[in-house]
Amino acid sequence: MNTSLTTESKHTSRRSSGASQSGSSVSTGLARPADIKLRLNEVSHAYGDGESELTVLDGLSCTVRAGELVAVVGPSGSGKSTFLSIAGALLTPSRGEAEVGGRNLAGLNPQKLADLRLHEIGFIFQGANLLPYLRVEEQLRFVAKLGHADKRQAVRRAEELLERLGLTSRRRHYPDKLSGGERQRVAVARALMNDPSVILADEPTASLDADRGRDVTRLLAERVKAEGKAGVIVTHDERILPYCDRVLRLEGGRLREG
Amino acid sequence: MMFLALREIRFSKTRYVLIVTIMLLVSFLVLFVTGLANGLGNATSSAVRNMSADRFIVQKDSDDRFARSALHAEQIDQARAVAGAEGAEPLGVQMTTVTKRDSESKIDIALFGVPAGGWLMPETAEGSRLTASETGQVLADRDLAESGVAVGDTIVDGATGLEWTVVGFTENQSYSHMPAVWMNEADWAAYRSELMAARGGEADPAYNAIALRVSDAQAERLNSTLPDAEVITKSQAISAIPGHKAEQSSLLMMIAFLYVISAFVLAVFFYVITIQKTSQFGILKAIGARTRYLAGSVIAQVLVLSFGSLAIGVALVLAMKAMLPASMPFALSAGTVLSSCGLFLAVALIGGLASVVKVARTDALDAIGRAGA
Ligand SMILES: Nc1ncnc2c1ncn2[C@@H]1O[C@H](COP(=O)(O)OP(=O)(O)OP(=O)(O)O)[C@@H](O)[C@H]1O
Ligand SMILES: [Mg+2]
Repeated sequence: MNTSLTTESKHTSRRSSGASQSGSSVSTGLARPADIKLRLNEVSHAYGDGESELTVLDGLSCTVRAGELVAVVGPSGSGKSTFLSIAGALLTPSRGEAEVGGRNLAGLNPQKLADLRLHEIGFIFQGANLLPYLRVEEQLRFVAKLGHADKRQAVRRAEELLERLGLTSRRRHYPDKLSGGERQRVAVARALMNDPSVILADEPTASLDADRGRDVTRLLAERVKAEGKAGVIVTHDERILPYCDRVLRLEGGRLREG
Repeated sequence: MMFLALREIRFSKTRYVLIVTIMLLVSFLVLFVTGLANGLGNATSSAVRNMSADRFIVQKDSDDRFARSALHAEQIDQARAVAGAEGAEPLGVQMTTVTKRDSESKIDIALFGVPAGGWLMPETAEGSRLTASETGQVLADRDLAESGVAVGDTIVDGATGLEWTVVGFTENQSYSHMPAVWMNEADWAAYRSELMAARGGEADPAYNAIALRVSDAQAERLNSTLPDAEVITKSQAISAIPGHKAEQSSLLMMIAFLYVISAFVLAVFFYVITIQKTSQFGILKAIGARTRYLAGSVIAQVLVLSFGSLAIGVALVLAMKAMLPASMPFALSAGTVLSSCGLFLAVALIGGLASVVKVARTDALDAIGRAGA
């Protein structure tokens, strides 16, 4: 509990000035607007040109608060990855707006979007997608370096995360020497490294067996709570749903509670 | 940017050792052939290259070749009238065969007849200088020492039977792969008349060419006033030396091809690696790495590998140079090494460009939803 508090305060102090303004305006109440780390408003997205258009998302809205882990389920091809790409500033929706950590994504240029992904969003992909030539601790130090984080602070943060995720003894290993579950835990640590507002995971347990999948999800849920992130997991895996606060179903281009 | 570049090299050592080996061999070859080209260039032309003249007057229709050109004393006076006594010096060139006295083995040499105290006469590195008054003395290129001739020895001309005493050695004076041997005007005149007599001579043309140190305007005037003669530049004179152009152009061709090959090898190597890593680049872009950073990483790798292979290549060439026999024409100055290395680096960077383009085109979106294991 103590550590989570210190993490939280460091987290706030490292925020960019715009976000910390909104953070300081929050003081009372449960449904504080600044607690909303991720907001999509009336988002529609269609692939293809004018002739053969495929509308995947159609007026989708959702909000995710700090400390909340949300599962998104739905049939294959329903647009879950598309939704995640839009929330992750990788894809600009045809219509509607997206807000991450209080920043509206509309009108940002590619560099600004890259910076925002670096600092505000942590991705966890289906495969761990670690860089094969970096040791575990280097994977973390690298993203900190990309974000021009203070080196000593980064080392401390990496140590803490590796400890929390049970990877301390593996920190000098290359990814090819790790088990699938360990690799995915490193990916979780990497996603958390730069203290993002939002964690987005696309089927993070798909390549793991049931137990490993549960472990990883449990650890992720724990971190999301402790550090006050907004977490979104797209998944097919029913067994990890108990670790999530809400389950949203993507159908007909919209997200429905249930 | 070095962070990724170096760690990837550390991780995939074999792969990068292989490419360094190839680049190292190519850069070694580039430097070696460059040294050879310079060495051969010196062997054919150093006597002319090291002259402090900037232009030459030769006979019209002599194809810029000293040996085919013949000028009269009158033309020398006319040239001096325009260029000034200091601006023009007569130059006699004749290839001949000599033997060391009391020895049978023949030595090909290039005889140069120039004014003894003038600026065409090269510096003496060992022994004494030539004077205008004393005759029967010559200054020889040190290469002659390899044929067993020492300072104080006498050499005998095969065509005329004239004898000259070698009073000193010079450095880096050869002409068309022959050591240059320098004599004063009096000896040159004696040699020419003897030679013409032996051939059943006609009227004797005094010299082959006039070396000039003049301004552009003076050169222009000389060109138009002198009858039956033309002014050529030093580099024209050098490339007309027998054998020079043929040797240099074939070697230059090889060097150019080596550069092209190294650019190509690098381009293919890095492109293949980059294609293999496309999904990695997609991931990196998704987690927020900028294209500039990733492109910089690729370039950093190219530079690290090129620097590494160049350093080893240069070391090998220098070691090679130290081991080569002195008779092998090989010359590599620090400046040449540096500019070759610079060119090599530039070529390597060009080779890396295709990969940079590939990196720039990779889409971050590929990371999500489509990620394989
Ligand atoms: N770049 C694209 N161009 C055209 N169509 C696309 C593109 N990306 C996705 N689609 C289509 O959009 C629809 C939604 O794709 P998406 O990847 O979001 O589905 P998903 O819900 O993640 O499916 P899965 O559960 O199988 O991963 C699919 O029909 C897909 O074919
Ligand atoms: Mg998907």
